[in-house]
Amino acid sequence: MSMIDSREIELARKCLESAMAKGAQKVRVTLNKNIMDLAGTLNGELDKTSHCLDRSLSINLIVDGRFGSFSTNRIEDTDGFLDKAIEKVRMLAKDQYRDLPSPERTAKDAPEGTELGLCDPDYPNTDADRRIETALKASIFKSRPEGLVSEEAEYSETISDSLILDSQGLYCRHTETGFDYGVEMTVEDKQGNKFSGYWWDASVWRNKLDTSVICPKALERARAQMDPKPFKSGKYNMVIDSEVASRVVSPVLSALSAYAIQQNNSFLTGKVGQKVFPEGLTIIDDCRIAGQSGSRLFDSEGVATKTVPIIENGVVKQYFINTYMAGKMGMEPTLESAIRPRVKGWPRPGLDRQRILEMCGSGILVTGFNGGNSNSSTGDFSYGIEGFAFKDGTIIHPVREMLITGNFLTLWNNLTAAGEDARSCMSKLIPTLAFSNVDFSA
Amino acid sequence: MINPKEYYLDTFRVTEPLMENLIAGALRSGGDYADLYFENTVYSDLLLRDGQVASGGLHTDFGVGIRVLKGDKTGYAYTESTDPAEMMQAAKAAATISLQGGVGAERAEASVGRHGGKPNPAADRYPMEQDWRETSASAFVPMLEKLQRLIESKDSRVIKVIAMLGSQVSDILMFNSLGELKYDTRPMGSLSVSVIFKQGEVVENKSASRSWRIGAEMMDDALLEELAAEVVSGIDERFQAIRPKGGKMSVVMGAGASGILLHEAMGHAFEADFNRKGQSVFSDKMGKRICDKGITIVDDGTIRGNRGSINFDDELVAGQRTVMVEDGVLTSYLHDRISSKFYGVPPTGNGRRESFRYHPIPRMRCTYMESGQAKSQDIIASVKKGVFVDQFSNGQVKIGEGDFTFYVKSGFLIENGRLSAPIKDINIIGNGPAALADMRMVADDLIIDPGTWTCGKEQSVPVSCGIPTVLVENLTVGGE
Repeated sequence: MSMIDSREIELARKCLESAMAKGAQKVRVTLNKNIMDLAGTLNGELDKTSHCLDRSLSINLIVDGRFGSFSTNRIEDTDGFLDKAIEKVRMLAKDQYRDLPSPERTAKDAPEGTELGLCDPDYPNTDADRRIETALKASIFKSRPEGLVSEEAEYSETISDSLILDSQGLYCRHTETGFDYGVEMTVEDKQGNKFSGYWWDASVWRNKLDTSVICPKALERARAQMDPKPFKSGKYNMVIDSEVASRVVSPVLSALSAYAIQQNNSFLTGKVGQKVFPEGLTIIDDCRIAGQSGSRLFDSEGVATKTVPIIENGVVKQYFINTYMAGKMGMEPTLESAIRPRVKGWPRPGLDRQRILEMCGSGILVTGFNGGNSNSSTGDFSYGIEGFAFKDGTIIHPVREMLITGNFLTLWNNLTAAGEDARSCMSKLIPTLAFSNVDFSA
Repeated sequence: MINPKEYYLDTFRVTEPLMENLIAGALRSGGDYADLYFENTVYSDLLLRDGQVASGGLHTDFGVGIRVLKGDKTGYAYTESTDPAEMMQAAKAAATISLQGGVGAERAEASVGRHGGKPNPAADRYPMEQDWRETSASAFVPMLEKLQRLIESKDSRVIKVIAMLGSQVSDILMFNSLGELKYDTRPMGSLSVSVIFKQGEVVENKSASRSWRIGAEMMDDALLEELAAEVVSGIDERFQAIRPKGGKMSVVMGAGASGILLHEAMGHAFEADFNRKGQSVFSDKMGKRICDKGITIVDDGTIRGNRGSINFDDELVAGQRTVMVEDGVLTSYLHDRISSKFYGVPPTGNGRRESFRYHPIPRMRCTYMESGQAKSQDIIASVKKGVFVDQFSNGQVKIGEGDFTFYVKSGFLIENGRLSAPIKDINIIGNGPAALADMRMVADDLIIDPGTWTCGKEQSVPVSCGIPTVLVENLTVGGE
């Protein structure tokens, strides 16, 4: 299956050659093309349809030791745009560290885009009627579930194609299809209080997306919010549902970014090789698994990805350092960022949310975050949460208007369990996580 | 700055007969309203990092979005070309919505009314003496370098300065099946700076920004001085700041950026699409008292140069000032054409979109509370135990429940009516209707914050917010 056609590839090549002819010494051109078709329903009726086709060229230029980043969606007509781009680069200060990745680091195994097997051959066999039928069939509103006041859902089909070329001979491509269904349910209790629940699923393959289970699951999640009870502030065990557990992993990955390290804006500065996390924490960049959504053979510079530990048994193994930051910091380059991070199960394999709740006994199960932030310099955080109090491994009632507050290093060193129940449709494979002694305010 | 009509027709290589033909194509399958939204955006940026402006870019985005309404159902498609054949193909894709059956009896099926108001120029809310597109980046490079020097001269603990200047100008042309034609040129300039400070082994960061719908003349020495002063102010307190003991307490919202409370906790729940679908906590509160007398909340698209201001919204409705809460009573939702038809009221000019890639939905513009009668010092003096907060980074709301959270970057404890220890990095959490009902005192010092606020409801659109000093009782403060 191919979406970027030969004429568009030729336009990208011409753009690269033209930039060189106009005075650039090094050039990288990325051509992205995406199609998305969507059918949305409201209360069991068709509410909207949309068709989107995007094409754009992103152009990185190094001119006389200076660097600029440009983009345009008028890909047939880049000549005048390149003149302006090069003129602008020449106004900037020289930066000796700007460079393309060395050819030996770049991906050689992705010339077609389909190498990872992430394209559904059934993708072209569709039309608007079939999408609308899929969306309407998944709705449960017309069966009039008790208390349901609103059901808003979207079914979409996408294909995305990305091609990277550079002036050192780089040529790599990634093509992926996606089928996605998500629904927001709003229910009302007898007092007129409203509660909402969201659920979604996605797959690379049409026939692996089971849309029939999503509305009932969203309804169940909305109803579960009913009748929240106050909960006293204090220190409790915290179990975070796999659906939202990436919220406490992403700040750790961001703190490993060379940009944050170089700007002295990371709480993990100078920690490579040190054991700052507990023995039980291992995060692997599991990025080259064929058939798994989120896998990639190269990053945005075209650098070949590798399956490597990011944190292993609590030891920080690497920062994310692109070509530019490697030169600037005098360090070996790695990748720009984690591609498909996976948290390993601990302390034993096979744990899921229920088993972890039983292990913890009592505490608060977090199923959603509502706002909040963290301080990237210090690692201090404060997040609004929603979820459920649990006792003896059993959920007893929902809680609302609660906050968790702490520091990421302290939090992670109180890790008590990591499951093996990460959702495969997510780009970060983060399972249910459990922590002890977490500060809750209510 | 609004150019003659021919400028926009030339920019998009279209004619009025061609647009009429596209509309006819979009409605051929039975839709009852259609509109075209042409956009040509040029975005430019410069980044100062590590003492030099060594990174910059230029980005263009061009295309047309075509929308077909059938009752309150929406069909949408866009193309990045204004080639007539490609536009007609998009029009037909958008018309898919009108080919489908299954519209329930309770779904209104009628066209939306004529609401465009005055012909161009209806207003001139974007002063642009100097077009960003015609101003060389070389004029701004030394200004960013000067900003760094100013900041470093004000505090010896500064170890890193990152400054970014972003400018954008969008040419917009809109035409609909009612024969209305509107055109606009929308500038936006944003200057933001983030500074890392180090005191001993302790590192802190602080940021400040300014953003307006004006031209390149915004870049002057006074702006640099103002931003430099703001970003270093309060850094002593930041190093000394503590996390207070958490719990329910009185919160005094400082004038200005605390307006995020209005945006998150109330403004979203006043957007008519959430109410039309029965999802908002305010969906059955129209005409009812929802807070104390003396509280008036406005969403205003008419403030000249403001980041949230519009001459027309993105479905050809004139920009306007909408009073949502008047003297404590809910008086209006924020409408687009679809919801205004649903509720049988005129649209309020809130149909906005991120770009031609999106269809318009109800969005806020500049949301603020009008000044009251109290004095800010009297409000603080009235609190025995609580917090005063004045800087925020972000917030979020659950529309159905009304639960909101926003993150406080700085403030002070209030003890026995006086500001005491500085605080930082906490969340304030509450419930929109409850917080409104718990507002007790409103000061006479409304400030509309000039920062780079962007709302992320499905699409990103520029907004602004403001509030006078306000006392809210019984909010949950997350602390140690």
